[in-house]
Amino acid sequence: MANGAWLAVAWLLTFAGPATAGERGGAIRDLHYGEVLFHFYQQDEFTALTHLLAARQAGRVTRHAVDAELLLGGLYLSYGQTDQATAIFDRLLAESADPAVHDRAWHFIGKARYQRGLFAEADAAFERVGTQLTAALRDEHEMLRAQSLMAQGRFDDAAARLETVRSDGGWLAYVRFNLGVALVRLARDAEGTAQLDRVGRLRSDDAELLALRDKANLALGFAYLHAQDGERAREVLERIRLNGPHANKALLGVGWADVLQADYRQALTPWLALSNRDPLDSAVQESLLAIPYAFGRIGADGSAAEHYVGAMVSFDRELAGLDAAVVRARTGRIVPALLADDDRTIGRWHWQLDHLPESDDARYLYRLVADHTFQDGLRSYRDLVALREHLTDWRDKLAVFENMVDTRSLAHAERLPRIERRFGGIDPAELRSRRDDFALTLDMIEAERNVVGLADKTEAEQWSRLAALESSPAWQAPQAAAARDRQRVLKGVLWWRLDADYRYRLWQARRNLAELDRGLAATAELSASARLARADRPVELETEQMRIAALQPRIEAMQARIDAVLQRQETHLQAMIADELEAQKRRLASYRIQARFALATIYDRTAVAAAGAAADGEGATP
Amino acid sequence: MTPIVRFFIRACVTAACFAILPAMPGLAADLQPVSLDAEVQTLKGAVLDLNRELFMLEEELLYPANTQVAVFVSMDVGEFFALDSVQLRLDDKPVANYLYTEREVDALHRGGVQQLFLGNLKAGDHELVAIFTGIGPHGRDYRRGATLAFDKRIGAKYVELQISDKVSKQQPEFRVREWE
Repeated sequence: MANGAWLAVAWLLTFAGPATAGERGGAIRDLHYGEVLFHFYQQDEFTALTHLLAARQAGRVTRHAVDAELLLGGLYLSYGQTDQATAIFDRLLAESADPAVHDRAWHFIGKARYQRGLFAEADAAFERVGTQLTAALRDEHEMLRAQSLMAQGRFDDAAARLETVRSDGGWLAYVRFNLGVALVRLARDAEGTAQLDRVGRLRSDDAELLALRDKANLALGFAYLHAQDGERAREVLERIRLNGPHANKALLGVGWADVLQADYRQALTPWLALSNRDPLDSAVQESLLAIPYAFGRIGADGSAAEHYVGAMVSFDRELAGLDAAVVRARTGRIVPALLADDDRTIGRWHWQLDHLPESDDARYLYRLVADHTFQDGLRSYRDLVALREHLTDWRDKLAVFENMVDTRSLAHAERLPRIERRFGGIDPAELRSRRDDFALTLDMIEAERNVVGLADKTEAEQWSRLAALESSPAWQAPQAAAARDRQRVLKGVLWWRLDADYRYRLWQARRNLAELDRGLAATAELSASARLARADRPVELETEQMRIAALQPRIEAMQARIDAVLQRQETHLQAMIADELEAQKRRLASYRIQARFALATIYDRTAVAAAGAAADGEGATP
Repeated sequence: MTPIVRFFIRACVTAACFAILPAMPGLAADLQPVSLDAEVQTLKGAVLDLNRELFMLEEELLYPANTQVAVFVSMDVGEFFALDSVQLRLDDKPVANYLYTEREVDALHRGGVQQLFLGNLKAGDHELVAIFTGIGPHGRDYRRGATLAFDKRIGAKYVELQISDKVSKQQPEFRVREWE
């Protein structure tokens, strides 16, 4: 049976992978790549993957091409799309000569094979990894290698490998724990308990590692119990926190450790404390039988009988509760109830059910939710529900988009005549020609140093008027001498002013020409864009309408497929729940039989003792 | 050891101890019907493709490339400033007012870039003002602004608001950068 410890390792495996492919290693050169990382680092992998695929298609991650591919492969791997992931890493191996890229690609290929259960093949890929992995990825690499070796039964190789690892990551404790329990299962107690003992003594403030430490001590304690070493069992079981998730089993074990040392009275202390806890916990149920057993051993048959009767009442009550829960499980009410408090955030595919909802049924499922197979199934169920709801959101949005595009089509049709009128009056070629005339004139002015050519409107008028006087018939008359002098002075003053400002005016004229060029360019761009918009917009709108029309049935078809698979997944989970409840019923029934049998034995013993006492009494009577 | 002790030890070792022994990863998955699991994965892949198309359609419809403007927030080191919020004004109109969670700030620290705003702007001159609020050096409340006057042309415009450390002054620095 799998358990939470494996789940924790699995989380580390799946999450650590892609992170290292995109971890900060310098400045971001594509904003959209950074934006993908922003979602990824928040464990919103679905959004990260969607945005990365979109950015890649739009050519927005070209400056991070290799990193983006590695990240994409890692995300695909986490999302269970092993084929796509492997294809990406194969391509990277073929196209890149960078040893760091090769190392990462081989690592991820190994991980993909590992996830498929191809452990020997995974090892072969891991062997190709060199020295260029980042520290975080190196941790994951070592963990996967050790897990892969264990999966092949190569425990000695796994243990040797772990000894060479230098890491302060919590994963090492998880792997060591897995190795320890695997060795114990193979009856290699000395090696197994050595590994477990190292985990059982670890120091940490981390809640998960503390829970793992408890779990290691629990496994270690029961391994010693199995070997009938009560003293050492008690010692390690007492390391377990009394408020932790493994406290009940620890209390039970401590009692049995005392029994192994024939100290039945001492065994009653932890067991009586345990019997007041949740009656559905298997350790508590076992304590209900263990207590009267201990009373019996110390000769307190009355108390023993009383506790056996109490245990049977408790078992009967729980059996009735289990019967009702089995009915609810088979009618499909438990699975949706398990997810009643879920936030349904899409994309967190390392999700697992951490807290059971407050309900009668949930009390029976503590063991089951610790099973990773059930958690995997529940995660898939939850993913499907979330995907269905996500698609429902899209379906609603598509209806809005459809309206929007229709409205834009109408608006475009209404605006088109106005646009035509506005842009119809503009002739870019004519504007260009006028600009060229102006530039030519300016060149001539500069070539001839024609200072009058740069006169403003008033000055030009003044110059014309002064010049016009010279063509008057009376201009050469003697009487006009004073006027001629005056005109000459005025003309000279004007020319002098124009000449003095000539360089400035020329610079200004050139600047105006440059501005004109920019304006003309902008007009041309705008005009071209408007012309294109006029021509292309109807096509674009039609394309958008067609895209929307094509997507709508795809969403509906996808939702139908999801519904069908969801139904099968729910049935599968219901069966697992019902099996678990039936197993609990069988265990309780077995306990009940044991209680009845023990009670009958006590009654027999009491009756025999009473009969013996009576016989002795009769014998003594004269 | 009496038979009943053996029974209980065996029972509790089975129920309590071996229940916590892990199965090797990959092997336990056999319990899940393979075809159903494969079907779930196929479906997830198909939904992913569909989702990408829908996402791109949405962006193209709502924020066409010609008018699109996107403002991003990034952080380089960021030891002198703990980010709380960013207010963004475009042409004197508030367009974003974002309060950060711890998880988001962590994502920024690790090199993630947040898309703070995505909208549309006409071609021409515009002004962007960003106000950063948070805790600065010596644990004091800190509020700083950064401004950018920019020319929006035809085509998407990307602006990055970058929070970095000015080690020489032991102060945070807020820069605005235009991307092509």
